[in-house]
Amino acid sequence: MQQDSILHFFLILAAISTIVFVFVFFSSWQDDTNNEGVKNALRKRFWFILILLVSLGIFASVTIPKSPYFLFADEVPSKIIHVSAMQYAFLLSEKNIDAKNPVGESIILPSNRLVEFRVTSLDVNHGFAIYNSEMQLITQTQAMPGYVNSLRYKFDKPGKYQVLCLELCGVGHPVMQSTFKVQ
Amino acid sequence: MESLNLKKITSLWIITILVLFVVAIVLGIVMRLNQGEVIKLEPLAFYTNMTTHGITMIGIWFVAGMVSVNYLMERYVKTSYSINLFAFVLTVIGVVILWTCTYIGNFSSGWTFLYPLPLKDSGSAPWATPMYLVALTILGIAWLVWSVSLMAQVLKKYSFSQLLAWQHLKSNPKVETPPFILISTVTLIGVIASLIAAVIVIVLYFAEYFSNGNFVNDALLMKNLTYFFGHTIANEMLYLGVAVIYEIFAEVSGRPKWKTTWYVALAWNCSLVFILTAFFHHLYMDFVQPEGLQIIGQLASYLASIPAVGVTVFTIILAVYRVRIKWSIVNLLFFIGVIGWVIGGLGAVIDATISNNVVLHNTLWVPAHFHTYNAMGNVLFSLAFFYWFSTQHIKILVISNQTLYTMGLLLIGGIGFLIAFYMGGADSVPRRYSTYPSGLASASYLAKIGASFAMLYLGAVLIFFYNISKRCFGILYSSPY
Amino acid sequence: MFRNFIFVAILAIQSTINAQHNISTLDEEKNIYEKISNVPLKIVNRDDVRKFELLYKEKPVILALVFTQCSGICNPFLIQLKNSLQFIKTDKNYQILVLSFDSRDNLESMSKLAKRFELDNAINWKFAITDSIQALNNSVGFSPLWDSIRKQFDHEALLVGINQEGYIAKKLIGVRSHYDLELMIRSINHIYTPSYKLPAKNSLFSCFNYDPLTGKNTPGTGLLIIVLPAFITAIIILFVALISRTKRLSS
Repeated sequence: MQQDSILHFFLILAAISTIVFVFVFFSSWQDDTNNEGVKNALRKRFWFILILLVSLGIFASVTIPKSPYFLFADEVPSKIIHVSAMQYAFLLSEKNIDAKNPVGESIILPSNRLVEFRVTSLDVNHGFAIYNSEMQLITQTQAMPGYVNSLRYKFDKPGKYQVLCLELCGVGHPVMQSTFKVQ
Repeated sequence: MESLNLKKITSLWIITILVLFVVAIVLGIVMRLNQGEVIKLEPLAFYTNMTTHGITMIGIWFVAGMVSVNYLMERYVKTSYSINLFAFVLTVIGVVILWTCTYIGNFSSGWTFLYPLPLKDSGSAPWATPMYLVALTILGIAWLVWSVSLMAQVLKKYSFSQLLAWQHLKSNPKVETPPFILISTVTLIGVIASLIAAVIVIVLYFAEYFSNGNFVNDALLMKNLTYFFGHTIANEMLYLGVAVIYEIFAEVSGRPKWKTTWYVALAWNCSLVFILTAFFHHLYMDFVQPEGLQIIGQLASYLASIPAVGVTVFTIILAVYRVRIKWSIVNLLFFIGVIGWVIGGLGAVIDATISNNVVLHNTLWVPAHFHTYNAMGNVLFSLAFFYWFSTQHIKILVISNQTLYTMGLLLIGGIGFLIAFYMGGADSVPRRYSTYPSGLASASYLAKIGASFAMLYLGAVLIFFYNISKRCFGILYSSPY
Repeated sequence: MFRNFIFVAILAIQSTINAQHNISTLDEEKNIYEKISNVPLKIVNRDDVRKFELLYKEKPVILALVFTQCSGICNPFLIQLKNSLQFIKTDKNYQILVLSFDSRDNLESMSKLAKRFELDNAINWKFAITDSIQALNNSVGFSPLWDSIRKQFDHEALLVGINQEGYIAKKLIGVRSHYDLELMIRSINHIYTPSYKLPAKNSLFSCFNYDPLTGKNTPGTGLLIIVLPAFITAIIILFVALISRTKRLSS
């Protein structure tokens, strides 16, 4: 899962940074009075910044095209699901949801086909986060009143999926959830 | 030199900050215990706690940075004692009103009061939202006046371009801008901008509140403004701490004072721009925000790390590496704080990557990274300043065994507490949940671990609190002789 | 500076116009991705009766529902539609079907309507009637009300965008800007739009107007407000710097 590799990546970087700092700290205890720090500090700094800049540049150019706004942009969704979030429920429906009389229905989605969720909110800001059957967050968008966010996703595994709210929306925030099936 | 009045008001600030810090940590532990199902709070009680915890922590560590910068600035220019006192009084009033709103009025929309939740929050008293906004207005005005007055004082000595050290970008500058003045200026500009953003949000809120439904705000605009304020102030308060490092790290280490060079000047001028545009990363999951701004958000968040790490962190490493320096609790706290800042920054850069943000946004990864550079970064910077301030006349800056144990406790407590957050984030545990759904297996278990380690952290903080405030009381009650 | 003021003023006026429509925010989301009723159409200057299906399979359709004896919105609505489409320079496919929902209309009256708007020879425009208007109305969620006193239909100005598969991809209610029309043309041509704004009471403070031509958002007045904090900060600091400068120089 993406989260696991993120955590490992982070822990490795954190460990490297800590080792560098600990090493630097102990170097200052050396009983060698002649030492007066780093020579050619400016040149070393230049290389350090250059390496940092290049690695961040590579990282950015690899990750930016994977942003959700660019994924599946050229495909035609096989199904549109309307989502209206409200305190404290998600209404999902294949038909449009009437703001004055909002009702949802149970949803079954096809696997390996592109689905588009059109997400909006009837009151405050909510999050629309999709969790798979192992309760791992797989994708999300925000539900903002007055706007419709179109979230596209292809579910590769059939099963039960849960929707949780990820934006504080009041005291019922943690119980706000919904489910749908993928076949 | 610093007047007795300034020392007294600074002592008063420090004692107040530390008292509120201890209380706010306890609130945090209560939240984690509730999530760990060790205690049981009503959801409303949890969210009022959470709101109080957030706004108190942001408030005290922001003023902690301002207090340190104000105190050290007296070395270069005369600062206004009365405005310092004015800010103190208004801050205390503001905090009292905020606590009234949360604990009596049940205001529970989180410290960022994201529109339009406070207007549609059924749990709170009808007066709680307007009063919360009034309290924020009081704090905003107090801090705005304070920041502008500090700017005005340094501008009496340096021209605007000198403040930003532009002359250092050319060869052979005639006037030297001390790094402390440069960083304070850059930071204060950001602080002023963020406070003005807060004022605009509050004005728009009141416009809707008093219009009886004739005027409705745009949710996207309000969210942009809210994070302009929220992100920027949280970011700048860290830089206030960094300004202090530049001023006193070398001094307490018995080394020559750091000088402004062309790359220091360039780095901080760049920071000024990046900090003000990085807040867009809070809106990655709002697809309505134009893609251009999302990408600017990612690039600015990345670029903000280059001057910070490439210049400040590198400078500190250079200052220590194979250099015999006098270690004391002060520079040790600074040094460890910088590690916390770097590691928190790594977590932040990972989360500021749009394709990662899809699975990390509003999970525990977010509190994980910002607690890293606050609880293990900024707090340590401020504690270091507090120690330095309270002991400057006594000169007992040796590392005793007791100090080492306290530091050990702080580190173990802090790291354990943070790891529970990071693992929660990687396990997709949402943030800001009073209790967890049963499907999230690890969530409540991690909350218990987090709470236990946070108690160790609290223990260490209490020892620091005792040592620092004991000496601050001494200063407070000292006579001019 | 002055140009900005005019810009803001125009937007303010526009937003009050928008406010008058006062539509329920989610009405435009009704019937999205539902199939249009495949009614038989009689088209002006064509002899045969053809099914709607033949039309949309050939090119995506923008459907405008009007009636010729309308003394209200239909005329300004068509003028606005014609003018807006002239502005739109797009390589995207579309055709406009102006369909009467009044059973009193016939091919002759529709032909006159086309002539009046000088659209009788326009390639992309088709004027038509149908004998199954109720089925079509139901499929697009359009419900005109007959007002027997005024002898008029009480109805909203509705545009329906239909893609080549016959699905309703986008609806627009009310007289709308060419930005919204472009968004419709993109939608019926299957171009992904990550997000769009619902019609709201006021658009004065919205940050962006989606420009479907480029697929980008153009700055709205709200954006001016986002940069306002930085702007005010600059003014404050310049002001303080000026005052302090005189003090610095005099001392």
